[in-house]
Amino acid sequence: MKKLKSFLLLSVFLSLNLFSQNDEFIDLEDYYGDMTARQIGPAVMSGRISDMENHPTDPMIIYTGTAGGGVWKSNNAGTTFRPIFDDHSQSIGAVELDPNDPDNIIYVGTGEPWPRNSVSVGDGLYKSVDGGKSWLNIGFKNSERISDVIVNPDNSNEVYVGVLGALWSDSEERGVFKSSDGGETWENILYVNQSTGSADLTLDPNNSDIIYASMWEFRRGPWFFESGGESSALYKSTDGGESWEKIHNGFPEGKLGRLAIAVAKTDSNILYTVIEAEKDEDKGLYKSFNGGESWEQVNNDFGITVRPFYFSRIVVDPKNEDIVVKAGLYGSISKDGGKTFQDLGFMHADIHDIVFDINNSDILYVGTDGGVYRSWDKGVTMEIVENLPLSQFYHVTVDDNKPYNVYGGLQDNGSWYAPSFAPGGISAKHWNPVGQGDGFRVYKHPKKNIIYSEMQGAENVWRYDVDNNRVKTIQPLEVEGYEKFRFNWNAPISTSFHKPDRFFIGSQYLHLSDDMGDTWKIISPDLTTNDKSKQTQSESGGLSMDNSGAENHTTIFTIAESPIDENVIWIGTDDGNVQLTTDGGKSWKNLTSNINSVPSNTWVYHIEPSVHDVGTAYVVFDGHTTGDMKPYALKTDDFGMNWVDIIPNNDVYGFTRSIQEDYGNPDLLFLGTEFGLYISINGGNKWNKFEKNVPPVAIHHIELQKNTNDLILATHGRGIIIIDDISPLREISDESLSKKLYFFEDDEYIISDLGGFADSFGRETQFFGPNSSLNAQIKYLLPKRHTFGKMTMEIFDDNGKLVTKLSPGKSKGMNFVTWNYRMKQPKVAKGKTLARGGLSSPRVKEGQYDIVITKGKDSFTKSIYVSDDPNTDLDSDEKKLKIDTTMKLYNLSEELAYVVYTIDEILSSDNFKKGIKNKLQTLKESLVITTGDNYVGQAENELREDLLDLFSKISSSYDKPSQNDMDNLNLVVEEYDNLKGEYDKIIKRIDFNEINLLSFEDFLEN
Amino acid sequence: MKNIFALLLTMSFFLANSQDVEEIINNYIEITGGIDAYQELEGYKIYASVNQQGLEIPIEIIQLKKGRTSLKLSLQGQEIKQGVFDGEVLWSTGFPDFKPVKSDDEDVINLKNELKDFPDPFVVYKELGYTVELDGTEDFEGTEVNVIKLTKTPVLVDGEEFPNIDYWLFDAEDNIPLAVRSEILEGPAKGFIEEQRFSDYQEVEGIYYPFSLTFGVKDQPGGQTFVVEKMEINPEIDESEFSFPDDETQE
Repeated sequence: MKKLKSFLLLSVFLSLNLFSQNDEFIDLEDYYGDMTARQIGPAVMSGRISDMENHPTDPMIIYTGTAGGGVWKSNNAGTTFRPIFDDHSQSIGAVELDPNDPDNIIYVGTGEPWPRNSVSVGDGLYKSVDGGKSWLNIGFKNSERISDVIVNPDNSNEVYVGVLGALWSDSEERGVFKSSDGGETWENILYVNQSTGSADLTLDPNNSDIIYASMWEFRRGPWFFESGGESSALYKSTDGGESWEKIHNGFPEGKLGRLAIAVAKTDSNILYTVIEAEKDEDKGLYKSFNGGESWEQVNNDFGITVRPFYFSRIVVDPKNEDIVVKAGLYGSISKDGGKTFQDLGFMHADIHDIVFDINNSDILYVGTDGGVYRSWDKGVTMEIVENLPLSQFYHVTVDDNKPYNVYGGLQDNGSWYAPSFAPGGISAKHWNPVGQGDGFRVYKHPKKNIIYSEMQGAENVWRYDVDNNRVKTIQPLEVEGYEKFRFNWNAPISTSFHKPDRFFIGSQYLHLSDDMGDTWKIISPDLTTNDKSKQTQSESGGLSMDNSGAENHTTIFTIAESPIDENVIWIGTDDGNVQLTTDGGKSWKNLTSNINSVPSNTWVYHIEPSVHDVGTAYVVFDGHTTGDMKPYALKTDDFGMNWVDIIPNNDVYGFTRSIQEDYGNPDLLFLGTEFGLYISINGGNKWNKFEKNVPPVAIHHIELQKNTNDLILATHGRGIIIIDDISPLREISDESLSKKLYFFEDDEYIISDLGGFADSFGRETQFFGPNSSLNAQIKYLLPKRHTFGKMTMEIFDDNGKLVTKLSPGKSKGMNFVTWNYRMKQPKVAKGKTLARGGLSSPRVKEGQYDIVITKGKDSFTKSIYVSDDPNTDLDSDEKKLKIDTTMKLYNLSEELAYVVYTIDEILSSDNFKKGIKNKLQTLKESLVITTGDNYVGQAENELREDLLDLFSKISSSYDKPSQNDMDNLNLVVEEYDNLKGEYDKIIKRIDFNEINLLSFEDFLEN
Repeated sequence: MKNIFALLLTMSFFLANSQDVEEIINNYIEITGGIDAYQELEGYKIYASVNQQGLEIPIEIIQLKKGRTSLKLSLQGQEIKQGVFDGEVLWSTGFPDFKPVKSDDEDVINLKNELKDFPDPFVVYKELGYTVELDGTEDFEGTEVNVIKLTKTPVLVDGEEFPNIDYWLFDAEDNIPLAVRSEILEGPAKGFIEEQRFSDYQEVEGIYYPFSLTFGVKDQPGGQTFVVEKMEINPEIDESEFSFPDDETQE
């Protein structure tokens, strides 16, 4: 094999060149290795759905496009879903299957088309030709949001795309586009202006030359939303998009807003449109019986006219033109061609899309603000899909419990907390509601079992006494001498690092309470710009008033108390101010003029005061609500006098929402963006994307748990995502990478006595979030992947005795090997069945151990100290008794196994007399089970089973052996001694030269 | 030194330029043993183990060119066989009664096709009519790999033919397969991508084999590692090793 060896030698030389670099240029992505996030959901309330799509010929296959959680596919008629779009923008507008090749060709238009204030952005159109296994961006990179994709059923190369376009700014990438080459090139076939996009698009199902397009003039800003204008209109083309005409005969006079359009498959002359008009009486459902030549209003119910920007979708039963379903607050269905509607069955409010099963119109799939629902009875009874973890968090905090809890609020789904670890996994039942409405920030009181939560605009701020199950509303109310309080939709609240009962809330003022919200004082002037022109939320909405409070502006958005000095408080406002007090609120400095690299009035989304230095803080700005998609993150180390840009190299994609400084290494930073997580190990000079089970989802907030070093991400569409123990990142450097193998130093090895019972009921269809490991994680760094030659990992005790062997990881970068603190299982005597007790193995005792990795000719050793659970009740004598008893039974099992092995060898040999064999067979039947099976045909226990059951009972317990255990041990030992005595008597007559028997030591090794 | 630098330069140029798919395959076959060595293979027996946190399970795998295969694992001295094929019958040890259970005809057809890959799908792909194409490059856990899409004989699922596609990830530096992926086509995990990862290549009678194989799901942590302890090349195996046990042999 000279060829291979010489090639390997060359590879070594080449790889050596890779290390002539320094920390500034380490591509961290190459070294993430086993560092992988876990998504813990929840799915109990799921999250907002933007689009439903079914397969044209297979009723089992359903897709859903979600507001912030990507695209999911079901192969079992919506019973369960799995994600298929985790490498790309998670904000989805439309999913479309090529009707001629639906198993392979899928289009996904990104960017949600239901543009509420918190909506995420997309980045174009994606196409898969392999059924969703891989995706290619095929254009519209700056479109921000795509409302429709339609493939011509008569010609797969003809694809129509409806681009709604930018929400917060002008854009020319809007309107209807057509490709005649399967998406290679595009022609804009319907364009109106820079503020009008395609809101709904449909092809006549019976004539693909006929296209209907609704164009919508709309705009959102930080303090307003405008729906409607002179440019909104409904268009029809009868020549495949070559020419268009408005079809408004019978429409109301004046400006139009968002329009939905649908064509009946059973009769192409029948069209439905939902119209947003100037006058309330003109709004509603309009119907045409002649392909749009004329229209008549058929319905003006609340369910039809409510919030057009959010609910403008109408769907016709493909088998019956008189059955129509309208999205809406509750969703409604008509069975008389739109004359009357009734609400769909009870489910989560805010319905965005509906599809009928392709064969049976009694079956409906409905997308809501709270996930996907199925109905088997035409919408009368709705049933939620239980494994879609699409929750949209705004914020996350943690407590110091073990395991710690996570707390956060969700878009339209209240506030919740749950443990970060639960036996069997974190499921729906582990999530506890602690608020209503839209939830935002939730804090645990630092000392008491009290939880603070809030709903939109601080309409309610709750103090929840968990132990007594009592709730008090504590938000500050207006008082004389101050302007009316202006609270953000996502109003900032916070506890204090320094005073347990202290609680903050921000309006335009900073409010402080030192008695958990019972009394309040205002400790600042108005810290915003107080620009009156931006306080017009009550006029928001355009043609349909939408004064929800979502557009409240000139408010405080961030309250950041220094963890080092309680008098230092940083404030960020939604209109661009960074304010600081260093004397507990007696005086304030507006630092905004010191910041030059960010446009004025850019939203201060997050401030992170350093834990290492009181004058240091990080500020993240978010300009997307004015159309500025640039990421901004700045750092000061002199109380805001000077600021540096910490994204100097333009290596972050997506505007920024949050930042987290590491508690151990001040140069280790985590950045949350609209498109996922970035990590820097050099203070921001170079950012590296982290994609190990973290999709490019909007990360609204990041928290670091101090005891575990777990990084917790509040994602707006994929729930809570945790990266367990990020501490190894602190040690990645040129120096550690220059070693052939580097053991991470910052670790500990503590045995956990935690156990409990896992509830696996419902696991087939429900979401269960994975746990962190209670086992040891042996962590090391490889500068290069191990490919050639043997690599092993062994653990030795302080006497140099081998305890166990493990399978080492071979990846380039960080490798984490799990060890359950147990030695290898004892050798078990062979019987007819398996001895369940023999599947246990003893836990190692507290003490020093050597981890030895052998990699080719090199050997690497790390000495560790394994500690018992600090909560153990056992003293040293009791621990010793447990270990000694366990090992006594362990050794007996191995001795018994050798006895049975010897008997079996004799029984299978022809060299021995029948009489001896019969005696040994009879003896064997008392040593091990020789009949029955592993289930209900199981035989009575013999010595092996008695011995191993006791072994398992003691070795798997957190406790010392009981007196009953010890009494039972005496019985087992006596039984063993008696039977062994019989065995010894019989084998005295055996000439062992007649058989080729392994020695006891070789038998154990074999 | 001059010669080494010249060699490195040549190699760097070679690596920097994308290789075509046949070049990658030929290099792989060449540096792991050469086509002659592969063609002389009649079969092998693998002695391996899996370690489940202290529970070490010995495993023996046999694969023969003539279309026989078996996997045998030992637990507390009990032998449990899985995927045993004698050319006609495919069977496994059932649980909890340890009695042999036959697989259906569809599984037999699929296995027969799979066994034709012996000794290595990239040795026989042309004669079997498989197609190969370079499906780009990607970063595999920090290592650049060339992805080769290998389309084999379709598999049957519930009577319907589905494309049988493997994606092989070859280290771009040394042309050794680091992993292979394929879509799970049936069962509750349908749609997920199965991933086998290879390492610890060692030479056995002229051919380099991976001595560590980790089976898992793409992008998911964990997986189960098989560690090969030794391999026997062209072993003598009695046909009875593969036969479906009759009533007597069960007892």
